[in-house]
This record gives sequence, structure tokens and C-alpha cells, in this order.
Amino acid sequence: MHAFEISHPATDRRHPRWRAWLLLAPMLVWLVAFVVVPTAILFVYSFCERDEMGRVIFSFTLENYQRVFDPIYLRVFIRSIAYAGVVTAICVVVGFPVAYCIARAREEWRQKLLLLVMVPFWTSFLIRTYAWITILKQEGLLNDLIKLLPFSVAPFDLLYTPTAVIIGLVYTYLPFMILPIFGSAEKLDIAMIEAAHDLGAGPLRVFSSVVIPLTMPGIAAGVLLVFVPAIGMFAITDLMGGARVPMIGNVIQNQFLQARDWPFGAALGMVFMGMFALTYWILLRMRRSEAIT
Amino acid sequence: MKSSVTQLTALAALLCATSVFAKEELNLFGWSEYVPEAVLTGFTKETGIAVNFETFASNEELLAKLVAGGGNYDLVQPSDYAAELMIRQKMLAPLDAGQLPNLKNLAPDFTHRPHDPANKFTVPYMGGTVGIVVNTETVKTPIHGYADVFQAKFKDRIVVLNDNREIVSWALNTLKLPVNEINAAALAKARPVVAEWIGLIKLYDSDSPKTALLNGDVDIGIVWSGEAALLWNENKKFQYVLPAEGAHQFLDVLAIPADAKHKAAAHKFIDYILRPEVSKLISEKFPYTNPNAATRKLLSADELANPASYPAAGKLESFRDIGKAAGDIDRLMTDLKSSR
Repeated sequence: MHAFEISHPATDRRHPRWRAWLLLAPMLVWLVAFVVVPTAILFVYSFCERDEMGRVIFSFTLENYQRVFDPIYLRVFIRSIAYAGVVTAICVVVGFPVAYCIARAREEWRQKLLLLVMVPFWTSFLIRTYAWITILKQEGLLNDLIKLLPFSVAPFDLLYTPTAVIIGLVYTYLPFMILPIFGSAEKLDIAMIEAAHDLGAGPLRVFSSVVIPLTMPGIAAGVLLVFVPAIGMFAITDLMGGARVPMIGNVIQNQFLQARDWPFGAALGMVFMGMFALTYWILLRMRRSEAIT
Repeated sequence: MKSSVTQLTALAALLCATSVFAKEELNLFGWSEYVPEAVLTGFTKETGIAVNFETFASNEELLAKLVAGGGNYDLVQPSDYAAELMIRQKMLAPLDAGQLPNLKNLAPDFTHRPHDPANKFTVPYMGGTVGIVVNTETVKTPIHGYADVFQAKFKDRIVVLNDNREIVSWALNTLKLPVNEINAAALAKARPVVAEWIGLIKLYDSDSPKTALLNGDVDIGIVWSGEAALLWNENKKFQYVLPAEGAHQFLDVLAIPADAKHKAAAHKFIDYILRPEVSKLISEKFPYTNPNAATRKLLSADELANPASYPAAGKLESFRDIGKAAGDIDRLMTDLKSSR
């Protein structure tokens, strides 16, 4: 914004502004139609009551929000956050080396490796999840492979367990961690690392004091891109987790598709969205305080 | 009966099947995996009426869409208890029996049911039960009811429908309580029973519970009879048992929303479905219980012998609408599932 104002004299300001709005218009329309309006509707619904049909009745109540803070649903919230936390941590640990290696790879390799990360997106998410069911089921690919081992191992019983949910979530969200870290790692100036080495830093020190801070924006973006959607995911917990342990996404879905309780579903959604905002705000502050130090 | 994949496919098909060329059209809103493609194309071929087919995966989804934006559908396919609610809310148009000469084909057991005692608003499409399917190769002890299913030795070998009201109704049946009176006292009594069951269940799946049974991931299921019938067709080791404590019998019906724009076309479609040779196609693809007596004469001995499609008499009960209590059931199940 500052650069913008400095480069243009104050008198010439109106013209580019108008043009800028025009360029922004499609995005603004999109945002208003698909983000602002639906959120506003959810917000209003979350304070409403319902009738036996599940119709929303416009009479003000705080009951829905009181119910959100019922221990039952708090527990579901906490569990969803815990799962998303584990998934995010695994994604960072697995995704960082991958992204770093791709970024450091030779030019002609880089594009190919990056393509490999994105290839899964060419297939429908649901079909990929069903593929995992085929792998993990009792008479599935994984247990068939185990039988080929020279020593005997008890077959895994992974499908419809929390482990399967974590596998499914990590699999789904890993690319969203790799891509932003790649973006940061690619820009990493190799001279910085050399300088650190010259100043006597060992590999660990270089990694923790140079590489990590310089790729932090990518890591932060990746964390946000993985953590936030992982909390609300409901398809994987249903398909790979056998719907045994409800996550917040499942509970919200049920309010609309089974319980005929849209206002409560809306209230859960609003609290959920508030948590997203909070996560984002915390990350933003962390980054800002890092910038200062 | 319900699957998101088929829903997406149906949506794609809907987008492709533009009705530009046909003069007349019919907007059908039905269950996913319940109306064979051949029936839709056959109807269009004969009448020239283009069918725009949209699908839903639960009665609640159907109700929600009708309440939100009604007038687009000419024919809907609710289950009995949802139809009952829609009749009460004056959301359905009365049928004109004069336009439905094939009504005579229906078996008397399936007409004048509690949801529509005067047969004024609904025509049965297909019926079924929710019962136990047992892999008799792996389960050697006899299974008669819910009590036999939920035993410690079958821990993690059980699949059930991912439907909270169903599960609670089984517990109520076990306790000899009425399944349609959902109140705090009944739920409090059902709570410990369901809590114990939840510890034994391997997975909840309404879309395709047969998959886990076929894969060998579980040995026993409490599923829609149509799913069990398909399993039996696949392998006779899958036996269907109506729970001795009492089972849910459902009837899915065809009905015309009050504000439908193509009521004549909707009547034509209903009458088309009631034809024995058309209804036979449905039974072949989705082997639920066919309410059409004339159709049953056309079915093969093997189809009629399928114990899941045409079970021996049992203690059956229909669901009635429970209104807001669905929310209480959901709360109970969320609580029990997450405190494991």
C-alpha cells in the first residue's frame, strides 16, 4: 500500500483506484456471494429456533450457543483439534524434507517432482479414499504384502481405527504442506547457509537458526492450510474411521442431515469459524513478533 | 441406497441430460441408488417426457430442500414417516386415482398404511426392513435378535447403519419399549444398552454396509434388507434374520408436492412405475420388497426366495415422525460415541 502511494502522485490517485476495483470486482462478487452472504445466513440462523420440520423460525435465542459449550460437544471440539494437531505435526515432519529436497533439486527435476506431488489431485478425492480402504482392509493390499515377508508378522487391523483416520488425513493434506514450504525453500538464498557455515555453525545450528526461520512463512502457511481444514473434515472419519468417533465436522453434518437442527448446526459452524480466525490471528502474531525480534 | 459417489454421478448426468428438446419434463427427487436408469430412459422413450433426476441421501435432506425452495420438484420419494409429516404439513398434493389405473396392481398389505390411511397422497415404491445379516461361514452360533448380535465375542466384527434413530430404536425394541415414543425417560433407559453396543461395533455405514461384510472386515451387520438381499445374491453364506425383538419396516413412497408444476407428468410416471414389467426392473436392480402384487408374479423363484427381500413373517413396526426428538437422539449418540 505504501509503495503504491509513493510511486503515484496524490493527484493521479483516482484513476488507478477505479481500475483496481474493476480488476478486483470478480473476486469481490465471488467473496460476497459465496463467503459473506452464506456466513451472514449462518450467523442469523445460529440465533434462531426450529420447528418439527427442521424449518428455521426467526425468534431470537441463545440456546444454540449454550449447547455448543455442553461438555459433549466441547469434547468433540477438543478431539477434532487434537487429531488436526497430530496430522499437522506429521505433515510438517514429513513434508518439510520433501519440499526442501524438491526446492534444492536441479531445475529439470524440480518441475517433475512438483508434478508428482500434485498428481493425486487429478483423481477425485472420494475415489482416492476408497483406494485407501482397499489398501487397509483386512484382506487388502497391505496385509497381502505382509504375507510375502520372510518372517511372520501379525496382519494389521487398521481400517476403521483412529490410525486409519490419521493416515487418511495426512495423505489428503500433505500436498498442502509441501507446496507452501517449497515456495519458501525455493527462495532460500544458498549464500546465507554458506555464510552460516563460514561463521562456524554446524549443520544442526544452520538448520535451526537459518533454514527454519527463512522458510517460516511457508511452514506457517502450510500449517494453516492443513490444520484448519483437518479439524472440519468429515468424509475421511466416516469412510476410513467407520464413523466410530465423531469429529466436529460429522456433528455439524448430522445437524443438517439427521437431526433437523439447522440453528444448532449453524451455531457449531460459527464457533468453528471463530476458531479458524483465532488460529490465524495467533499465527499472524507469532510471525509479527518474529519479524520484530 | 445412498452414496455420495452416485449422487455426484447423478448430478453429472443431470447436467448432461439437458431437457431442451423435450416439450414436457418431470423433476424427480429420489433416493440415490434406488431408481434404475433403465426405468427413467424407458419412461422418456415412451412418453417423450424428459426426467430431471436429482437424488438425496436422507429424508431430512429431502425435507430441507422442499422447505427451502419447494416448487422445483414434481415427484418426490420420501419414506413413510417423512411422508406422514409432509401430509400433516400440507406439503403434498392429493393424487388423482383416475390417472393411476395401475394402482390395482398393488398388494393390499402395502396400501392404507398409517402414514396415509386413506391412500390419498402416496403410492408405495418399494419397501423393506432393517435386519441382521450373518456371515454363516464365520459365525457358527445361531443369531435370532439384537441380543445375539451384541455379544462380547463379536467385538469389532459388527457393522451397523450410520443412522442414530435406527440404532436407538433397536435398543428400545430390546427393552420392549415403543420405538416411536422418544422422550427423556425412554432415552435414559436406552442409554446403557446403546453404550454397551457402541463398544462392540466396528463401523457405522449407511451408504454401503455390504462392502465391509463382503471384504471380510466384519461378520455380522444390521442393515437395510436390500443390502442384505444383494449379499445373499452374491453368496448364500450371508443369511438374513429379522430380529426377534422387533424390526423396523419401512415403505418408501412416491408423492407429488403441493406446488408441483408438472402434476400430469408425475401421475404418468407413478402409473408407469406401477406397471409390473417396469416394477420388475426395480426389483432386479434393488432387491427390496416389491409392493406390487402383479410384479411378484413376474419375479423368478430365486428372487422370491431371497429371505432379505421377502422375509418370513416377523414382528415389524413402522417409524412415525418424531419431530424435534431427532435432535435428542443425535445428542445421545454423539455423547456415547465420543465417550468411548
